[in-house]
Amino acid sequence: MEGSKSSMRRELKFLFAIWKANLQSAMEYHIAFIAQILGMMLNNAFYFLFWVIFFERFKEIRGWGLNDMFLVFGVTATSFGVTAFLFGNAFSLSDVIAQGRLDYYLSMPRPVLLHAVSARSIPSGMGDIIYGITSYLLSGYFSWGGLGRFVVGVILASTAFAAFLIIAHSLTFWLGNAAALARLLMNAILTFALYPITLFNGPAKFLLFTIVPAALMGSVPASLVRELTWQNLGGLFLGAAVLLGLAIVVFRLGLRRYESGSAIQVEV
Amino acid sequence: MTVIQISNLRKTFTTKRKAAGLGGSVRSIFRPQHQVVEAVRGISFDLGEGGRLGLIGPNGAGKSTTIKILTGILFPTEGEASVLGYVPWKERRQLAYHIGTVFGQRPQLWYHLPAIDTFQLFGKIYELEDKDVKQRISFLAEAFEIEDLLETPVRKLSLGQRMRCEIAASLIHRPKLLLLDEPSIGLDVVAKQRIRDTIRRMNEMENVSVLLTSHDAGDLEALCKRVIIINHGQIVYQDRVSNLKRRYLTTKEVGVRYARPIPKDFTMPDVNILKVGKYGVKLGFDTRQIPADVVLARLAESGDLVDITISDPSLEEVIAKIYQEVEGAKEAQA
Repeated sequence: MEGSKSSMRRELKFLFAIWKANLQSAMEYHIAFIAQILGMMLNNAFYFLFWVIFFERFKEIRGWGLNDMFLVFGVTATSFGVTAFLFGNAFSLSDVIAQGRLDYYLSMPRPVLLHAVSARSIPSGMGDIIYGITSYLLSGYFSWGGLGRFVVGVILASTAFAAFLIIAHSLTFWLGNAAALARLLMNAILTFALYPITLFNGPAKFLLFTIVPAALMGSVPASLVRELTWQNLGGLFLGAAVLLGLAIVVFRLGLRRYESGSAIQVEV
Repeated sequence: MTVIQISNLRKTFTTKRKAAGLGGSVRSIFRPQHQVVEAVRGISFDLGEGGRLGLIGPNGAGKSTTIKILTGILFPTEGEASVLGYVPWKERRQLAYHIGTVFGQRPQLWYHLPAIDTFQLFGKIYELEDKDVKQRISFLAEAFEIEDLLETPVRKLSLGQRMRCEIAASLIHRPKLLLLDEPSIGLDVVAKQRIRDTIRRMNEMENVSVLLTSHDAGDLEALCKRVIIINHGQIVYQDRVSNLKRRYLTTKEVGVRYARPIPKDFTMPDVNILKVGKYGVKLGFDTRQIPADVVLARLAESGDLVDITISDPSLEEVIAKIYQEVEGAKEAQA
C-alpha cells in the first residue's frame, strides 16, 4: 500500500514536470497560443448559436431546455479541453504508433502509455476549458456544491474520453493505421455527447452508454452537476473506470505486437 | 564486469507483401500475403566495462534491431541477452535508469524549448534531485562545450550543435552504458569530429561503455576499440580496430614533393604511379610486395624531398574488401 502510494506520487511528479514542459513549449509562441485559445472559444460559441436559435423556437425537447444545453456544453467542452490540454498526444496516438515513435517512450523509465499521451499539449484545449466553464456558469445551474460536482464530473468524463481515444487509436497496432477511424469515432462521441439525451431511447441509448460512450461525456456528468445521486456518480465512475481499464489492456496487448516488431514497418 | 552479453540472438519479423499496382492492393485486402524477414540471425558478442564497440554494416544489416533489443524496445525471437545484468525485454524500466540512448534520426530534445529545459525534464524522468541535475548540467555543458547553446531553442541550433546537446541529455543520469544509433548521421566533417572527441572523452572520464552503430567508418577509426561488422543479420567480422587495420590495411598511398621539378615520365618498379605533377608524385603500393622503407628510400634517391605524406586506405574500402572476401568464400562454398 505504502509502495503503491509512493509510486503514484512519483508518477504525479513526473506528470507535473511534463505538463510544465508542455506549457513552456506552447508559450514559446505566445501570440499563436492566445490566438488558438480565442479561436476555439469563438468556434464553440458559433456552434452553440445554432442551439440558441433552435431553443428560441421550440423552448423544450422532451423536457430538455436551453439551460440544459448550456450545462451539457459546459461539461463536454471542459472535458474535451482537459484531455486535449493535458493528454494531447491521445489525439494522435495512431501516428505515434505507426511511425515507430513509441521507441522513445519505451527507452525511458516511465509508464509508456502515460508518458506517450501526456507528451504533447493541444493549446486550443485551454479555449475549450475556458468556454466550458463559462457555459456552465451561464447555465443557471451554478452553486458551490454544483461546482464541486462539475469538477468531479469533468475529471471522470475526461478520463472516459481519453480512454476512448486510446482504445480507438490503439487499433493501429492491428490495422496498420487507424487514425482516420479514430477521428471518425471521436467525432461520433462528440456529436452525440452534445445532443439532448432525452432524444434517445432503447438501443440507441444503450449504444451511447457502451460502444460510443457519449453519455459519459455529456448527459451523465451534466446530471451529476444538477443533482448528486449515487446512480449518477456511481455510473460515471464505473463507466470511466471500465473504459480506462479497457484502454490499458488494449494498449498493452498492442504493445506486445509492437515489441514483436510485426505491428509496424520497422527499421532493420 | 561484462556490460553486454548476448548469445545466439535472433529476430524474425512478419511483414505484409503486396504486388505492385491497384490490382495488387485489392488482392492484398482479400488474400493478404506475408513474408518472414530474418533481421538478426544468431548474433553473439559481449562488451566489457568501459569498452567502445562499433557495430557497422549496410542498411538492413540488423544494427538498429540489435540496439532495440538491447534497450528492451523489441524482444527477440530466440537467444539470450544480458545488459548490465538485466534481461532488457523483461526488465526494461529498471534497465532504462542505467543506460543512455541516442537515436540519430529520432531527436529526444523538445524542439521548441531550449535544451536546458529538456535536461531538467530528464532530471524529473530519471528522478534525480534538483541540486544534482544542476551540477550535472554544468558539468556536461562544459564537457560538451554547449554553455552558450543551452538557452537557445533547439529548433534554432545547427544539426551538429543539436547532436552534442542530444548526447549530453542522454548522459544526464550518469548511465553506465551509452547506446548510440547512427550518432553522426548527416553531420559535416568538423561536427562529426567534435562529437567523436566528446564521446571518447566521456568514456575516458566516466568509464561509460559505448556501443554505437554507424555507416561511417570514420566513427570506428576515431572512437572504437573493437568492431563488429554485420551483414544480412550475421556477424561477418569482429576484432580490435587495430587488428582490422593491420590485416586489411596492407596498401599504402604516398605523396611526395620535391624541391626541383621532376620528369613527366617518373617511374618506379613495383608501385602504381597514381599522379605526376611538376614537383610532386603520388603513388600506391602493397606492403606485401614491396616494403614501405624501400619505397621511401627510392623516393629520397630521386631528388631533394620537401614534403611527404603516407596514408592508409579508408575503412570504407577495408569493409568493402571484407565483404568481397566473405561473399567470395560463400560463392566458393556454393
